[in-house]
Amino acid sequence: MTAEPTKDILEERLGRLTPADIRKAVETFRAALGHQGAADLNACVHCGLCADTCHYALTSDEPENPPAYKVNLVMAVFKRYFTRLGRTVPGWVGARELDETLTREWVDVLFGRCSLCGRCNLNCSVGLNITALITAARAALTAIGLIPPELQSTITTAYTTGNNMGIAQNDWVETVQWLEEELQAETGDPTARMPLDLHGARMLYTVNPREPKFFPLSLLAAGKVFYAAGESWTLATDYYDVTNYGLYSGEAPVAGELSDRLVRTVERLGCQELILGECGHGFNANRWAAPEWLSKRYPFRVRSVLELLAEYIRDGRITLDPSKHTEPVTLHDPCNLVRLGGVVEAQRFVLRHAVQQFVEMTPNREKNFCCGGGGGQLAMTRYAQRRLQAGRIKADQIGATAAKVVATPCHNCMDQLSELNKEYKLGVAIKTVCELVAEALVLPAQ
Amino acid sequence: MAGLDPLRLAVLAAAAWCLAALVFQTVRAYRFGRHEIHSAAAGVSLKGIAYAFGPGMMPWGKESAARHLPTYLTGIGYHGAVFAALGYLVTVMSRVALPAEWRIPLTAVFAAGAAGGIGLLVKRAVKPVLRSISCPDDFAANVLVDLLLAAAIASLWIPGADTVLLATAALLFLYIPLGKIRHCFFFFYSRILFGIFFGRRGVLPPRPRESQP
Repeated sequence: MTAEPTKDILEERLGRLTPADIRKAVETFRAALGHQGAADLNACVHCGLCADTCHYALTSDEPENPPAYKVNLVMAVFKRYFTRLGRTVPGWVGARELDETLTREWVDVLFGRCSLCGRCNLNCSVGLNITALITAARAALTAIGLIPPELQSTITTAYTTGNNMGIAQNDWVETVQWLEEELQAETGDPTARMPLDLHGARMLYTVNPREPKFFPLSLLAAGKVFYAAGESWTLATDYYDVTNYGLYSGEAPVAGELSDRLVRTVERLGCQELILGECGHGFNANRWAAPEWLSKRYPFRVRSVLELLAEYIRDGRITLDPSKHTEPVTLHDPCNLVRLGGVVEAQRFVLRHAVQQFVEMTPNREKNFCCGGGGGQLAMTRYAQRRLQAGRIKADQIGATAAKVVATPCHNCMDQLSELNKEYKLGVAIKTVCELVAEALVLPAQ
Repeated sequence: MAGLDPLRLAVLAAAAWCLAALVFQTVRAYRFGRHEIHSAAAGVSLKGIAYAFGPGMMPWGKESAARHLPTYLTGIGYHGAVFAALGYLVTVMSRVALPAEWRIPLTAVFAAGAAGGIGLLVKRAVKPVLRSISCPDDFAANVLVDLLLAAAIASLWIPGADTVLLATAALLFLYIPLGKIRHCFFFFYSRILFGIFFGRRGVLPPRPRESQP
């Protein structure tokens, strides 16, 4: 299966590469690798054992799919420009010039056949951080304009408008106000709030812009839970987008700026905590990567909303009635939140309190399979067929649980799972964890 | 330096070159950029490192090992034999005579290792996926190490074959920093970073199932 468009902006750019572009790409690549990347590329033994840990390789025999092949493409450039033998006898060590042919292959393979899920990292014989290596190569491509334009457009929209869906501020504010009225109606409490820019609130809550745009009830669910817990919280009128596709382009300055906006908002509103809504890559970006992009230690705590929900339950701040969900519910672990993020048990703890039958997928937790929607794949529509094909592993996993509901704490995963639901006729409902909690919530008596 | 003939001196010189070159490569790797870590840890790096070198290397800790158990076990045997051969090389270098009853067990270890090495070589040559990611260096590295194991066996049984072992060892040490065998050093570097990455994020070691968050 090859990428469909043959002559687009990307192709035109590929045809106009200059030696200066290549130099810039190599320099960017070097900087993005860092010492870990350099060590990893010196350590790889080409054993190929990572092949069948990758959902792309497991669902297609194409030789470009195994992680080892992808690493080899990256390593070829490393050897050519940064090792003695690679410079003198490139053929002996598999070193290659970053020319138009290899650049084209980098784009197709490193953007188009990897969701940066990190499953190969965990299973690598040596322990290479393969996602970091591929991200470094993506950074080099992005630096010379060789990022698929659909992914770049998502980043540009977030950068220029403040959120990746380009939602105008008045639309956002009106949506929140409407949801506040809904919350008041649902709780029967006219004082129930969906606060905006509440100075001194304990926590700032951030959301995936898909929520106000397409899934407002998801945001309402969070509001309902915070109301029940008596939380002091706020949304921000300007910067509320938890997503950060800069994580996938490797463009650290842009990614850093996107995350820094949230940091500045927390500081502006005087909050003590930044709570990241249900978004896998948003969690990885803002919890783990951003402090490194910004070279900054945060003076406030950063947590996933799942950790907060677990805390509410543990501390008795909310009460749930699991009989509201009698059908079997399974859980999809977003890679960036679980394997690369470390939030593993909170969502399970929450679901065991919110539903009657919680069924694990196999494998699960840090060993989960990617749904196929990560790495910017959902944005890069040119690779949609590959994405759906790679998602077969996840579809099979879901089918094996016989669950009727799939919970997933990530809107990106939700979109991909919804497509898999149709493609593989799974017949399941897909919900966020917050939605399931809100549905099981026993509201305090007025 | 009494007792050091030219061949033994050559081995020592090659080993010194190897060590110096690996140190140089480490410094070069560092120069790619090393940054202070700013994100607040959610787990313990040291626990991650301990896991990385312990349960994380086992088939039950690593799906790739479990799925490829014969290859995994062959690799373990191969590397074990290489380290044993290097240990034996030290005795040859220092002219320490091993007890005669060690000859058969050592031969078995080296032969098993060499057979494993040849098996991995054949696998690399035959399997399309492996062939597509291989270069001459991959084959040369394997052959060099197999030769070391064969020379070690010869040295155990054939009087005067020590010279073959010493020459092979010198060649191997010269080549290590140049080709993929440098993973013998960088494996530890990468594995430690792997442990730190997953350890401080609280991913590894895996927490007890059903534990409270």
